[in-house]
Amino acid sequence: MRAWAERAVLPAAILATLATAFVVFYLPVLGVLSSAVVVTGELTIGPVLDVLRDPFYTGAAHGIVTDPLAVPGNVLGWITGGFYGVSFGLFGFTAYQAAISTVASVALGLPGAFVLARFEFPGRRTLRSLTILPFVLPSIMVAVGFVAMFGRTGLLNDTLGAVGLGPIEVLYTLPAIIIAHAFYNAPLVTRLVTTAWESVDRRQVESARSMGATPLRAFRDVVLPTLLPALLTAALLTFIFTFMSFPIVMALGGLELATVEVWIYDRVQSLNISEAATLATIETALSLGLMYLYLRYEARQRTAGGAGQSLPRMALLRGIDTLRSPLRLAVLAYGLLAAVVFIGPLASLIIESVTAPNGAFTTAYYEFLLAQQASTAVGTTRPLPAIVNSLVFGAGTLFLAVPMGIVVAVLATRGGRGSRVAEAVLSAPLAVSGIVVGLGLLQTVVFGTVLFGYRLTAAGPVAIVFAHAAAAYPFVTRNVAPALGGLDERVSEAARSLGATRLRALLDVELPLIAAAVLAGAAFAFAISIGEFDSTVLLAEGVDSYTMPVALERYVGNRSLGPNLGPATAMGTVLLAITGLSFVAIDRLGGRWEP
Amino acid sequence: MTGVSIEDLSVAFDGVPALADVTLRVEEGEFFTLVGPSGCGKTTLLRTVAGFETPDAGRIEIGEDVAGVPPEDRNVGIVFQDYALFPHMSVRENVEYGLRYRDPPPGVSAAERVQNLLELVDMGGMGGREPANLSGGQKQRIALARALAPSPDVLLLDEPLSALDASLRERLRVVIREIQQELDITTIYVTHDQEEALAISDRVAVVADGRIEQVGPPETIYREPATRFVASFVGDNNLMEGVVVSTDPPQVDVGRRTDGLSAGDPETVLPLDAVDAVDRGLTLSIRPEAISIDDETAPVTVSATVEAAEFMGESYRVHCAWHDYTLLVRSRAREAPSGDVTLGFDPSALRILEGE
Repeated sequence: MRAWAERAVLPAAILATLATAFVVFYLPVLGVLSSAVVVTGELTIGPVLDVLRDPFYTGAAHGIVTDPLAVPGNVLGWITGGFYGVSFGLFGFTAYQAAISTVASVALGLPGAFVLARFEFPGRRTLRSLTILPFVLPSIMVAVGFVAMFGRTGLLNDTLGAVGLGPIEVLYTLPAIIIAHAFYNAPLVTRLVTTAWESVDRRQVESARSMGATPLRAFRDVVLPTLLPALLTAALLTFIFTFMSFPIVMALGGLELATVEVWIYDRVQSLNISEAATLATIETALSLGLMYLYLRYEARQRTAGGAGQSLPRMALLRGIDTLRSPLRLAVLAYGLLAAVVFIGPLASLIIESVTAPNGAFTTAYYEFLLAQQASTAVGTTRPLPAIVNSLVFGAGTLFLAVPMGIVVAVLATRGGRGSRVAEAVLSAPLAVSGIVVGLGLLQTVVFGTVLFGYRLTAAGPVAIVFAHAAAAYPFVTRNVAPALGGLDERVSEAARSLGATRLRALLDVELPLIAAAVLAGAAFAFAISIGEFDSTVLLAEGVDSYTMPVALERYVGNRSLGPNLGPATAMGTVLLAITGLSFVAIDRLGGRWEP
Repeated sequence: MTGVSIEDLSVAFDGVPALADVTLRVEEGEFFTLVGPSGCGKTTLLRTVAGFETPDAGRIEIGEDVAGVPPEDRNVGIVFQDYALFPHMSVRENVEYGLRYRDPPPGVSAAERVQNLLELVDMGGMGGREPANLSGGQKQRIALARALAPSPDVLLLDEPLSALDASLRERLRVVIREIQQELDITTIYVTHDQEEALAISDRVAVVADGRIEQVGPPETIYREPATRFVASFVGDNNLMEGVVVSTDPPQVDVGRRTDGLSAGDPETVLPLDAVDAVDRGLTLSIRPEAISIDDETAPVTVSATVEAAEFMGESYRVHCAWHDYTLLVRSRAREAPSGDVTLGFDPSALRILEGE
């Protein structure tokens, strides 16, 4: 009887996980999609066509919908007319900034891969594990860091002012967005390409050389074919991520440089839900299409992990000779640039949080964080509840996301149809933006859903935990599944033949052996929850369930708090400390994240 | 305690058959070995008995039909090649694990049972050790004790010695056989090592390409191979193809093939004990130890040339060229044979295998 009950647990857990995934992710997203194509109970593509026809959204491409026959003639005219400037529209601009961001991320990340894969120097391992850090840094915090560095009263202009140079305006321009996107995605490029580079077996290069290939030729014939797929993978992912980027564009660009995502947020704010849903549908269709391409491509190129030795590394530093080697000088120059881009914003954040406008050291902003508690004025965003909310939601996310992530990992490592289902369940959340999930949760869970005749509603905080769980559980699975797959199958079979049910074998043997991976996944989930902004900002609207990132945005947006960023940078530093601790936990536990 | 019956068992992976129509009966208390080259399906058969693979057809009985019975309810003990000890548990906890789910024998506490088994495998003082600190041979003893602790009906051993070095392998196989006989437990043993199979078993099944080629006591398998595969897989052997040239006296020409292209060569005509039809193609086998070198009194003699002689310790393994064949011959002479030699044998040592 006990064994019978135990046997029921695992299938029940799988069902519960799929049901939860359905409620926290699929139902909301489907709700958004359906509200875009169902108007007063009838199926229609009218709203979608309206958007596609509108030059504001699709720019010059709107002609494809309004007057398809004229398109060839217009394109010809454009070519003969000398490629005159055309209007991109909102979607065009979003793709345009994503494309430039991708190029910038590759340009910044690729040399990093070269340095990490081919040179040996003190701190190389630390640097390599730091490439995972951006994924746990809240994007709104990074945006504040950029404001702290490049803003009118930021570190850069303060420094320039000190030497008598006029302030320069970088904020609210496209370059600021591009650099912030590169901050996020260049490390992804670096990590994927470094891993590919390290997987090149030195014996292959040595064989090529011994058969007469020059070093350049050997690189082209042996190394490059391994690097290119990794580079393409990283570029495709970067494009998807930056296409859907939200807080960075909102904080650094504003509505003048709005992307689809920012516009959706703005539509929701002005309660134009149906237009928001239509935009969200088109955006999700695009990003899912890209994600499908990515998965197809990735499935083809998954290479067998080489047991061979990787290429030997060169010493980066050679005393005074370092300065005589052009290659090494270039690497050092690159290191300097990378330090400005990566350390600059974070350092600015911390420095600005303890610097008064006159340049003196101050703890006023941290005192403000505590003092603000007393204020009861309507509309104030009190810091302490934000911190408490963040921690509570983080705990709630762990409660949902860790079991879900483990169950999906079990499903994924079993092989067969289950693992294909798991793969789909896992990948979809990556391709759907937080705004869309948030909007969907607002429509389905907060406003209520009628299911089997019962109207189900949940309060904002529950919806926020749902949104965080939807974003976080793939990270748990990505950590647990490889560890589970790497276990010797015989070990759990031995347990089974000794009388343990599948569930007992999982609990007695498998999970204890991969405890580190489970904890790393949990730390990831916690960090994702703490930093989640996109859906939280929608769901925390008008209720007292704002989190640290949401409070941060309100402090940046609210100029009435004073001429400086003080409170925002202080809050950002607290956020940085918490996510930094999560990162240390992830790193110590051998956490990983390969999309 | 019970035997194992396997009837018409077929298992396929993604449509590729791994086992086809296998029928076997392992008697109660018997030490039964499945031997065959890697990929022949022997491990699949063992895993299907244990419940880790699902048959596409056929039935397995361990006392009763076990169709649909999950591994944990089959009461079989299994020992894997790579030990599969639980690395996060001590030796004692490993052995005790099965007693969490199954009761020890009546009148014995779980702790006593564990201690008894550790002593049985000669590891009495090792209970507190961690598996990581044990040698390969010690790990395999613990894996054996762990499998035996819940008193399984059947013990399954999947190449348990393959990861160990040669001398340890031979010592441990004696230990396994002794324990099996002491407990009188029905045992199915899988190995690719035909010598190990012959040394340890009550009966042996030779498996090839998912089919059972022959089942029998080791002596029968060695001396009376039923098929060409068994004759070549088990021990050194010489195989020759030929055509019957007369039935009275029974004679076969191993220089001529059934295609009839080459004419009969009188020098390659060998006498047989009996044969039924002229022009029939057949395969003959003769063991190296049945051929003598330079013994003129042998009933049949042929001239051959020594190509190479390998020193094996107690004998030489001599490769002799004779017409199209290289014949293996055992020589116990003090010196390695060389040059032209006369090979001699008794026609009754020639075994006729079916087919060509």
